[in-house]
Amino acid sequence: MSSPAERVVVVEDDELLAEHYLRILRRAGYEVYHAGHALTAIDVIDDARPHAILLDVLLTGTNALVLLHELQSHKDLASIPVVLATNLADQLAMDDVESYGVKRILDKATMHPEDVVAAIRWATRS
Amino acid sequence: MGALVSGVPSVSVAAHELKSPLVLLRQLSLELLNGDLTDSQRQRILEQMVSVSEKGLRLTGDLTKTETLQQPLFDCYPLNPLSVTDDVANELSGLYKAHGRTLRVSRIRHLPPVVANHDLLRRILLNFADNALHYSDIHGVVELQAQLQRERDIVRLSVRDYGPSLPLASWRKLTSSLSNKQQMQARPLSSGLGLYISHQFASAMNGHIGAIRHRDGASFYVELPVSRQLSII
Repeated sequence: MSSPAERVVVVEDDELLAEHYLRILRRAGYEVYHAGHALTAIDVIDDARPHAILLDVLLTGTNALVLLHELQSHKDLASIPVVLATNLADQLAMDDVESYGVKRILDKATMHPEDVVAAIRWATRS
Repeated sequence: MGALVSGVPSVSVAAHELKSPLVLLRQLSLELLNGDLTDSQRQRILEQMVSVSEKGLRLTGDLTKTETLQQPLFDCYPLNPLSVTDDVANELSGLYKAHGRTLRVSRIRHLPPVVANHDLLRRILLNFADNALHYSDIHGVVELQAQLQRERDIVRLSVRDYGPSLPLASWRKLTSSLSNKQQMQARPLSSGLGLYISHQFASAMNGHIGAIRHRDGASFYVELPVSRQLSII
């Protein structure tokens, strides 16, 4: 019997980009959930209990750092690895976000679809 | 509620706004090139690419127009505002469909003509409707509404979305930027470029833009003077 698929929550307010992430991650075998607003992301994460989170930085209603702070305040969610996919990659340093469980920062302008899959795979296994 | 005034956006703001559609186009192109896709997925991605391209082109067109706004180039004349709302609904139907949303025109009878420029008014409503798309509930409806305010001799054309209510702090920031001529703030983490462009276009037609916060969403509107041409006749 095959093992159940690993779960990923995608937090991205651009719906077409989110749909793209969902397609490529599902093709890679992940069970994927989507939150379009930071306000709903915690609920989706709480329900899905994902193995990793793919997170945009500039979000409707708040930004990723607020969400990362909130995740850290929940003991059971704090250890979920996070991959940031952002247009602001050149303004973010891993040193600044590593303590929030961020494993990789992807630059939306230069990343390839397989980079997203590879980053999630790396995050879930690290 | 507040009337929106201007703050000139920087080139970097415009560049940031254009970056999002370009990033999305690139990702979708890469997926088309490398992905193991079904025919229906391929078709959907192609349709999305067309919608995103059109959005980027609208923005570049708007930016160009704000630089060349001169009354002689943009004559104002009496026009039926519902002809513009219909045009906007038709133009965005593909984009809304791609997002699983509906853009509905709420019709009222006996709406008088307004003094406006069809192209500028169309661009304002396209901006509002494009913005509303991203703040409406999934599978939700966005409404293009028209309202005559007889006592003020104006027609208000609104784009009403039914998304999550804007946090009060963000709303206050938005409305305060309306009256202080600082860099225009739109929804949280939006650059405000669309509002700036819409304000410029509305001003060129002797109109103005504004916004209303609802418990279940927001309305962004443009107010234009009613044409007196018919009453003179």
